[in-house]
Amino acid sequence: MSQDNGAHAESGATGATTDASLASRAKNPKKNGPKWWLISLIAVIVAVAVVIGVTLAYAKKDNGTASGNGAAQANTVTIGLKLAPTNLDIRNTAGSALDQILIGNVYEGIVARDSKNQVTPAIASSWEESKDGLTYTFHLNKNMVFSNGDTLDAEDVAWSINELIAKQYHDADALEAVSKVEAKDADTVVITLKTPNSNLLWTLTGRAGLVFDKDAKYDLKTQAVGSGPYTVAKFVENDSITLKANEKYWGKNKAKTPTIVVKYLADDNAAVNALKSGDVQVLAPITENLAEPFTSDPSKYVVKAGDGTDKYVLGFNNASGSKLADKRIRQAIRYAINHDELIASRGGADKALGGPIPSLDPGYEDLTDLYPYDQDKAKSLMAAVGYSEDKPLELTLTYANIYGTELGDQLRSQLKPIGIDLKVNVVEFSTWLQDVYTNHDFDISLVDHNESHDFYTWTDPTYYFGYDNKDVQKLYAEGIAATTDKERDAKFAEAAKLISEDAPADWLFNYRITTATAKGVEGFPFDLNQTVLPLYNVTYSLAEFSQK
Amino acid sequence: MRFVIRRLLLFVVALFGISVVVFAALRILPGDVASIMAGINAPASRVAQLREQLGLNRPLVAQYFDWMGALVTGDFGTSILTGRSVTALIGARASITFPLIIVGLLIAMLIGLPLGCAAVLARSPRVRMAFHVLAIIGGSVPALWGGLLLILLFGKGVGLVGILPSQGFPLDGWGEPVGAMLSLILPAFTVGIIVGASLMRYTRAALGDLANSGYIDMARSCGMTRTQAVLRVGLRLAMPQLVSVIGLTFASMVTGVMVIENLFALPGIGNGLVTDVGNRDLIAVQSELFLLAAFFLTIGLIVDVLHRLLDPRLKNASGVSEVSA
Repeated sequence: MSQDNGAHAESGATGATTDASLASRAKNPKKNGPKWWLISLIAVIVAVAVVIGVTLAYAKKDNGTASGNGAAQANTVTIGLKLAPTNLDIRNTAGSALDQILIGNVYEGIVARDSKNQVTPAIASSWEESKDGLTYTFHLNKNMVFSNGDTLDAEDVAWSINELIAKQYHDADALEAVSKVEAKDADTVVITLKTPNSNLLWTLTGRAGLVFDKDAKYDLKTQAVGSGPYTVAKFVENDSITLKANEKYWGKNKAKTPTIVVKYLADDNAAVNALKSGDVQVLAPITENLAEPFTSDPSKYVVKAGDGTDKYVLGFNNASGSKLADKRIRQAIRYAINHDELIASRGGADKALGGPIPSLDPGYEDLTDLYPYDQDKAKSLMAAVGYSEDKPLELTLTYANIYGTELGDQLRSQLKPIGIDLKVNVVEFSTWLQDVYTNHDFDISLVDHNESHDFYTWTDPTYYFGYDNKDVQKLYAEGIAATTDKERDAKFAEAAKLISEDAPADWLFNYRITTATAKGVEGFPFDLNQTVLPLYNVTYSLAEFSQK
Repeated sequence: MRFVIRRLLLFVVALFGISVVVFAALRILPGDVASIMAGINAPASRVAQLREQLGLNRPLVAQYFDWMGALVTGDFGTSILTGRSVTALIGARASITFPLIIVGLLIAMLIGLPLGCAAVLARSPRVRMAFHVLAIIGGSVPALWGGLLLILLFGKGVGLVGILPSQGFPLDGWGEPVGAMLSLILPAFTVGIIVGASLMRYTRAALGDLANSGYIDMARSCGMTRTQAVLRVGLRLAMPQLVSVIGLTFASMVTGVMVIENLFALPGIGNGLVTDVGNRDLIAVQSELFLLAAFFLTIGLIVDVLHRLLDPRLKNASGVSEVSA
């Protein structure tokens, strides 16, 4: 301070001295200048060096543990799936993401289904059905336990199914025909029906037949206590699930890999990168087109499409008063859609589907011949109603954004020449639920109806299709009441044909899930893996990896 | 002091207003969580039953006051779908997003500030032009593309120099600190480069104005070189403006990094918010939005206070007005 004052006092007297003193001050920062830059430069170099060093050390350590395990199989397999469950509450929350990860892995049902959609033993080792189809007697396995150590017996089975019906949990409506479920003794359960139901056994392979621990208290949204080969060790909603082998597991599907991590990768690019970088060893599903880098490298990857029950349904609003109430318009649309072109543009794995029943469900018949691609026929049908390309009918297609925009654009251009001006309205899933599903406020809708055995939706006039055909309803009821599978299948097939002829929807294709795995992954199911995904058999041998 | 109190009062009023707007706006959205939970194969009765169970049928005013009442006691509610407390949800997500944006911002500052200064200091018009072009390119790179490029360069298993993980966060989170840090490097650089370019432009603009002002002439006439004058006097004068920009950039990055979180499969705040809105998990969404708004306001408050500390002229100005008022 005093020096400053001195300078000011002097500056009044002699300018030359001031300049000199200022100049001399100006030199000081100059000395500091390069130092500042030097320090920051060194800091940056050090930081980068540390990062690279740590990275390399980390990477080495990673390889170290890998080779330490030798040629044997990996202790952890990481699987990349797409649609994540928001919670673990399989009793209340819809969505196949939960069925996929929990059924057969964490929870077990009284019966299970295999990758061909057939009923197989699970908690029950065998069962008998009475001649009239009204009584099912299940003989349970012995010495069964839950992952918490509690014993699993007929009491738990009966309690679980009775709870589902009493509390009206998800899928309770599928058990409407059940009059009572009783535990006869420790390993016999008897289910009595009011009316025969040929779908009962299959229904029990899903949520309706799951067995919960009667005595366990836990938060179903964040935990899961079941009797399956795996337990949920960690669950991060919308991100990942870590499964650990259930040490108390009682049955023969013992987990072959101690830890399975499921990562949910919503972004397709992220998913592809994750498989490429080895962060995951399996991707299911992956779109055909994105699978290309893996298909072209068969020495490192296996890519395969599997059968499933996903039906891409272009549902029409059939209610009276709808623009599509006229059957000719619905038929014209079906003739105008070039299914082969749609399937080819998606990579070609999907299968044409001509009616409401997919090949893995009872009553399937190839109905693709009913409405072959025929633009002229479509045009004349539209002309009969009074529409042409110059004077088109305006229709709106509403669907959820999870299916991408390509399908809508393709349909728009395929329907244009026959005189339909299709407005494509891609919305959030919850908006679709509100507008289309609940309020029936739509012309045309597009959904992937992925559930198996959902043929009944065509027999319910209050369902969003608004399809009401008494003959179909009668045939379906007869099929359900049938006591042999053959009789059931025949009735369903007949009903499905009637439906397809009526054209209340167009079935764009039966979506087949493409799965990509790293070489060395064994036991991962390719068929039906978006709803039934048993993981106990999955292994990954690192020997293949180290050869790379 | 009076200034701070007045700002705090405004803060409370604004929060109240936000709570009303957020609550009302979310109720306008079509669809609800009950139909999401019931799915597309359940009968209508099931949806109605869930709606009743979840309390979605109660009058909106009652729902609002329940929420507000709990909020005042610090209870942000429980997510309907996940069954976890909103505090826990946000905590888990913030433990990814905040480290990401803090590191990202540091990188941005390391890039943006020096380059911004250099752009002003450069004498040759060609060099200035080069800096200008650099800033424009950096600022106009879409985050998604920039991130993909970095993955293609450095992503493990994918990139040319594949050394860094590009997918997801370690399962144990920060329980695995090295892995957690590594998984944030690429996303942080993506954010850093893009935000850095915009910081560079701000620095250049703020400093460039000052470089032609009387302050710099004065400093130079006192004997500083141009470089010294700009860096020592100019930068000090530009400081309040830069602090504002950096503060607000920081606040906007919380949700702004959503695209990057998605690309790198990081379950952060932005990502989570979009999922929750999609699922119509309104209790979670409204509390999350409320907390975000509170965060924005807090940053605004801090910036304002810092502004005053850094720029004494403001203090005097308000001092005068307070006296006259």
